[in-house]
Amino acid sequence: MIQFNYIAAFFLIVLGFYTIVTKYNLVKTVIGMSVMDYGVNLLIITIGYTPGGTAPIFTAGELTQASYFVDPIPQALTLTSIVIGACVTAMSMSLVIRLHESYGTLDTREIRRLRG
Amino acid sequence: MNLANMTDYHHFPIYAIMVLFLGAFVVSVAGAKPSGNLKNPAGARAWIALCATGLSLFFLVMLIKPVMLEGEIIAYWMGSRAIAGGYAIGIALEVDALSLFFALLIATAVFVSAIYSIRYMVHDDCVPQYYVLYCLLAGGVLGLVLSGDIFNMFVMVEILTFAAVALTAFRTKVYGALEAAFKYLVVGCMGSTAILTGTIMLYAQYHTLNLAQLASLIPGTLNNATKLAFAFLYIGFSTKAFIVPFHPLAADAHGAAPASISVLISGVLTKSGIYGIIRLTYFLFQTMNLGSMQFMLVFIGSVSMFVCVTMALAQHDFKRLLAYHSISQIGYVLAAVGLSTSLGISAGLYHAMNHTLFKGLLFLAAGAVLHETGTTDLGKLGGLSKKMPHTTALFLIGAFSISGVPPFNGFASKWMIYQASYQKAVETNNIGFLAVTIIALVTSTLTLASFVKVSQSVFFGQLPREYENVKEVPFGMRLAMGILAVLCILTGIFPNTVTGVLTQPAAKAVADVGEYITAMGFKSNLPVPEVSFVQVGVWEPINWLLILCIALLALTIVAVAGKYDRVSENEGEQVETKYQLFYGGEKNVYSQVGGGDLFWGFKHNWRHYFDFMHDLHSGIVNDYALWAVVALALAIVYMMIVL
Repeated sequence: MIQFNYIAAFFLIVLGFYTIVTKYNLVKTVIGMSVMDYGVNLLIITIGYTPGGTAPIFTAGELTQASYFVDPIPQALTLTSIVIGACVTAMSMSLVIRLHESYGTLDTREIRRLRG
Repeated sequence: MNLANMTDYHHFPIYAIMVLFLGAFVVSVAGAKPSGNLKNPAGARAWIALCATGLSLFFLVMLIKPVMLEGEIIAYWMGSRAIAGGYAIGIALEVDALSLFFALLIATAVFVSAIYSIRYMVHDDCVPQYYVLYCLLAGGVLGLVLSGDIFNMFVMVEILTFAAVALTAFRTKVYGALEAAFKYLVVGCMGSTAILTGTIMLYAQYHTLNLAQLASLIPGTLNNATKLAFAFLYIGFSTKAFIVPFHPLAADAHGAAPASISVLISGVLTKSGIYGIIRLTYFLFQTMNLGSMQFMLVFIGSVSMFVCVTMALAQHDFKRLLAYHSISQIGYVLAAVGLSTSLGISAGLYHAMNHTLFKGLLFLAAGAVLHETGTTDLGKLGGLSKKMPHTTALFLIGAFSISGVPPFNGFASKWMIYQASYQKAVETNNIGFLAVTIIALVTSTLTLASFVKVSQSVFFGQLPREYENVKEVPFGMRLAMGILAVLCILTGIFPNTVTGVLTQPAAKAVADVGEYITAMGFKSNLPVPEVSFVQVGVWEPINWLLILCIALLALTIVAVAGKYDRVSENEGEQVETKYQLFYGGEKNVYSQVGGGDLFWGFKHNWRHYFDFMHDLHSGIVNDYALWAVVALALAIVYMMIVL
């Protein structure tokens, strides 16, 4: 069943790309970036998952050869990635607010003073 | 820990990174209450930032002897957590000659730009935040090139992207600054996501994030997942290097950012992308012996070179024009690196260094013009050489360097690139590499043409009335430009010393991947390669300097002795002046040729191409995102076919 996770992860990434490319509203662009990010997070956490594994929390005495747990490194990576994703959203939304103030629109087709 | 242990040079790479992040922290703390000096309240913070960047440069310079000259590779495990059970469990820094080469470039550019910022940013508000972001950006790039861990590279990429985006939008009142920052954020974020996806897919296959261990495991075990990872990583680093098709972002971001930040974006951020591509292709996957990979890098490099130089010709904003030239020069670097010969890599790295120096100088000169006149529009400026003689002289040094005029540094490195590509063509009997030499030559000519246009429309010609009161920029800014100008000349006159000390060790490090792996404690059975830097022709800068002097002398004699007065000859005659050489079309012969008009004939003949390119760079963020997605798709397909 783990394949569905991979399919869903890449579906989310592609959906994010699709949103960024086709939507002309700045807020939707930001949503697209977030969706793309969630897809990657799902991908990371899926890679670390082992079916039937327990939480990777052991002290030195408890750990035996028979211990069977999910890979902790992707979980740490996901946390980093989530934090970065939140920063991206915050920063892009603040830029969107300032853009709306100075251009009076959220349409990407009208925010093109720099071209050529 | 005792002092002798702390001053061990093995700690210096982490000191160099930490001092910048600490600097960012200290600047933000120092900003908590207003400083006593009311005239220049940001002064103290500027000095903190300057000290941090200076210290960082010092630590890296101290590493030249062990790493560059003695060929040691510093493997540094954070918290001494090294290898357990054959797997890297700690985070590592690994500094070989390639890393140190890029780190030195970065630290130099950051330090000089900090000197410049002190006076340049005086009139802005929010200066404390500027220095916080400045130090973060510098620390991020330095961390990227010194890291020995691919996930750490991703984190540093994010730090530098954020800092760069925030600094692009720093002058929110500047025309288009917010817009440029948003576009950069969207496409930059897609690039970062691509890097993360590639990283995690490599982790899924090999269960390690250490670069050296990945390099020892990947070659020979490529499957579809690793090919996909390669494509993702390649596109991710391409967005950081701004090579085609990501060049419009560079133009927007460079043009809108303050000049001191344009120096970093152009001289430092693009280099970090190039560094990532080199690490990816030469070290991790070791695919550069494949003709198809060489073709890809050389092709994209050549396209970047040519497309961006023609885009630059059509610009009429000083900084935007420089931005396109910047990517054009990055195309040279990529094409030379893609040749996959020791001479080619050495030439590419040499050009990367020179690009940082001369492009930094040009951006600082553009910033000086903006600082004094308040505009960078080529059509409005003119005749500033009378008011700003030092800036003009420094700008001309930069312009000669980028155009490849001997004996400046641009000539030395471009000459090496021509030779390397020619040599490759001879060795492989492939006419395609010869085309690269020709494209590089043509691009160089077009670069010279467009700098003739810039110097004509900014520094020479007639001075507009509104700039009668323009003064020379403050000493601090001229000092920063002077340092870069001196470096431009020195690296041009002593190319053998520079290549011997800096680029050839770095090129050797690129060739000797086995050493990179074993230095970290992993097994490698890669052979030690034979490295040769023999050039086909001979390059003697002193002779060229003499020729230049003789030519200048001859020109002066003709000009002084001839006293040929074009004006008096034309008086009374009712000739149509429009078609005469060097005049803009107006009846008045004194009229200044408009900034965009100097090559009107050329532009007219190529109007279909220029119109097409202008329409293509539509400025809509969706289009640029589409280019990124298409590039990613093409990269995936290409990798699946050729790897």
